[in-house]
Amino acid sequence: MASLIKNIKSSFRKMTTSIKTFFWDMRRAFNARKKKIGAYLDKKNLNLATKFPGWARALIYLSPALIVLSVFTFWPIINSFRLMLYEGYNMSNNTITGYTIFGNFIKVINDESFLFAASHTEGTAVMNTLIIVFISVPVSIFLSLFISVALNGIKPLKGFFQTIYFLPYVTNTIAIGLVIAYMFKADGGLVNELFGLGKFSWVEQGAEYWRSMFVLIFYATWGTLAFKIMVFLTSIQGIDKQYYQAAAIDATPRRRIFSRITVPLISPMIFYILVTSVIGAFKIYNQIVALFGVTGRPAGANYTMQSIVMYIYQYIDGGGNNLSIAAAGSLILFGIILVLTLVQMQASKKRVHY
Amino acid sequence: MNRDLFKKSNNLEKITFIFDAFAIIAYITLFLVFFGMLIYPIDPTTNEVILEELEFFFPTYEFIGANIGYAQMNLIISILVIFMIISVPMFVINVKKLKSRTIYEVDSYVAGSKFTNAIINLLSFNIGGFVLRIWNMFILVEFVKGYKPKDFFKSIIPAIKAKFSKLTTKKEKIDESEYDDATYTLKKNIRRQNIAHVLRLLLTYLFLVFMALIIVIPFYWMILTSLKDFTGATSTSPEFFIGLSRMNWINFKVVLEELNFGLYIRNTITVAIFSTIGTIITTILSAYAFARIEFKGRELLFTILIMTMMIPGELYIITNFITVSKNGLGWVGTENNSYFLAMIIPFITSISFIFFLRQNFKQIPESLYKAARIDGCSDFKYLTRVMVPIASPTIFTITILNVFSSWNAYIWPRIITGVGGEEGKQYWLISNALRDTAFVQDNGRVMYNLQIAASTLVTVPLLIVFFAFRKYIMNGIGRSGTKG
Repeated sequence: MASLIKNIKSSFRKMTTSIKTFFWDMRRAFNARKKKIGAYLDKKNLNLATKFPGWARALIYLSPALIVLSVFTFWPIINSFRLMLYEGYNMSNNTITGYTIFGNFIKVINDESFLFAASHTEGTAVMNTLIIVFISVPVSIFLSLFISVALNGIKPLKGFFQTIYFLPYVTNTIAIGLVIAYMFKADGGLVNELFGLGKFSWVEQGAEYWRSMFVLIFYATWGTLAFKIMVFLTSIQGIDKQYYQAAAIDATPRRRIFSRITVPLISPMIFYILVTSVIGAFKIYNQIVALFGVTGRPAGANYTMQSIVMYIYQYIDGGGNNLSIAAAGSLILFGIILVLTLVQMQASKKRVHY
Repeated sequence: MNRDLFKKSNNLEKITFIFDAFAIIAYITLFLVFFGMLIYPIDPTTNEVILEELEFFFPTYEFIGANIGYAQMNLIISILVIFMIISVPMFVINVKKLKSRTIYEVDSYVAGSKFTNAIINLLSFNIGGFVLRIWNMFILVEFVKGYKPKDFFKSIIPAIKAKFSKLTTKKEKIDESEYDDATYTLKKNIRRQNIAHVLRLLLTYLFLVFMALIIVIPFYWMILTSLKDFTGATSTSPEFFIGLSRMNWINFKVVLEELNFGLYIRNTITVAIFSTIGTIITTILSAYAFARIEFKGRELLFTILIMTMMIPGELYIITNFITVSKNGLGWVGTENNSYFLAMIIPFITSISFIFFLRQNFKQIPESLYKAARIDGCSDFKYLTRVMVPIASPTIFTITILNVFSSWNAYIWPRIITGVGGEEGKQYWLISNALRDTAFVQDNGRVMYNLQIAASTLVTVPLLIVFFAFRKYIMNGIGRSGTKG
């Protein structure tokens, strides 16, 4: 019995080694052929690998990305300026009725759901977006700063808390949005039950503008907290320990350590987060869809929760009947983001130093 | 140090893993069998589920000759799910521990953890694992303390007595009146500082726990609601806990089979896989070109790419919609639609990932490249053999982030599939399906439990991926933030 197993083992080993040697031989032969061809090409001065200049080699590597980018990134940028100049563009047969310079912009700005609300409704795309940006961004930055400082100060359970705070980052926005809407349900929702509010409606029929806005801001803050905590914690952990030791010798109070050491030393990160989260908040869309549906209007409400992005998409949705207005709207959004970014960059040049 | 005992313990642990693996396979197969047995009320004429009767439908199932009631069935499936949740991470952690453990790290705590693992094995009906782990515990006890099993049992009672007596003997009280004034104030200050320290820690933990609750409650409420029946989900005074036998696993089956979420999840996985493969290939190639190949206008081209990152995606979507539809590439809105192409191709490259990876490639020392060139290594070989392995953590982070963003995609798939009407519904991704599926009964009442069950189905795979690659993902996010 033992000899049989030995036999099988040895024959198996022989088989594998013969297969291996066969492949190695193949490879060796292939490489020899390659070398020969390379030498021949070198002799005739035709070797592409050495003859090609840098840009040609780069082009080979860049071409897959550049082809996709030129069709789906660069062309759209040019095309939106073209679309903006069209009047009555019809997507299905690719015809226009005329040209205009500022006509589409004027249409967007005069639209009562974009900038200034009509008397019988509340909330416009721009106003809603601005409210969300100016409340959710500062709140989430302050909260995440406090949380990351608190996390940095503890030892046991640190990894556990870190993992929990990271959870909102790895979720589907629509899925959790549905859960949040369900939690804020008037009849038997968790929030009303916990705080004993009775049948207080937040996002459904009968809700007021500010209640809906509260839920939206709560969800927007909840979802963006994870990334900020992570980034702040990483940068706080990167601060040199000597600063804290020096402060400890001087018996500096905690509050001053926070305001004089931690915050100034991670101020570049805070500004980076500020820029990205303001831009992110301006593009808010999925959260509103999850809470209030595609129209951004709770059932039977006389107000709208639309954001700028949602305003743009309503013209693409359903076959794209007025893409010129959508293009004008998205250019306005781009303008706002550009201005904010430039302002913040200027501010950060002056303020961020240590 | 008895090396033989250590080796013996490790080998025994390896054999235990076989039992563990068998147990896990058994749990999964049993779960699939029982989950497959679940039935829901079906309308004989239309062959569709009757949502109104779902909560009043209590069938009995037959399994190898035994009759199982509705509640018992739910109990069995709940227990199996709990077993899976406990045993799979335990298995993975144990395998990792065994790989990294050296002989110097073994102490009595390791033996203790063997014992707890054995108890968990016993509770989850993994008898083989239980017996072997107990045996392993005795080996470890002998390794650490030198006790044979007999001595070990004898030593338990004296050890407990010693511990107990330590607790009961009080510290000698120090007479404070003996101190002089300086020592007294010093002691007082130290005590005050200690109290302040403890209070501060307590407040910190309270704050952290409070915020963690706010983060976790939506997840808890989601999972809880997805297991309730319709009455429970819409009742005016919701319950905060439900028993194992009242968990309606049928909700998930209805969502998967009757509301087509199986199809939507498949669609999403297809889109995620192909767009991720595309992204990885194009990103690696172009990041390499920007990091290593020198050519005229490199910095200019790169700056242009970076500048486009500021432009909002909505601006692209308008034109891209025209590009993929009838008057452009004709992927949608024509007779032979290819929705998948339209959903994948625009997303097979990403400027931010190119930027991220280029930064990583640039940190690899130039001398490596020169050495490789001298040895006759071609550019492409250098990329695949040297750079990609070195930058593999970053590439992995990019993969995960890309999969997450495909899983989250809402607006582009909505626009694309919206063109197709009824046909387009077959190509919905999960986010679209979640938002646009009508979870309503015929009388117009929303089936919240099914809606939330669908949300759970969408969220749980992400959470599993997250917990499996937690360190990679969290480090990657932290680094990507600091780099940007």
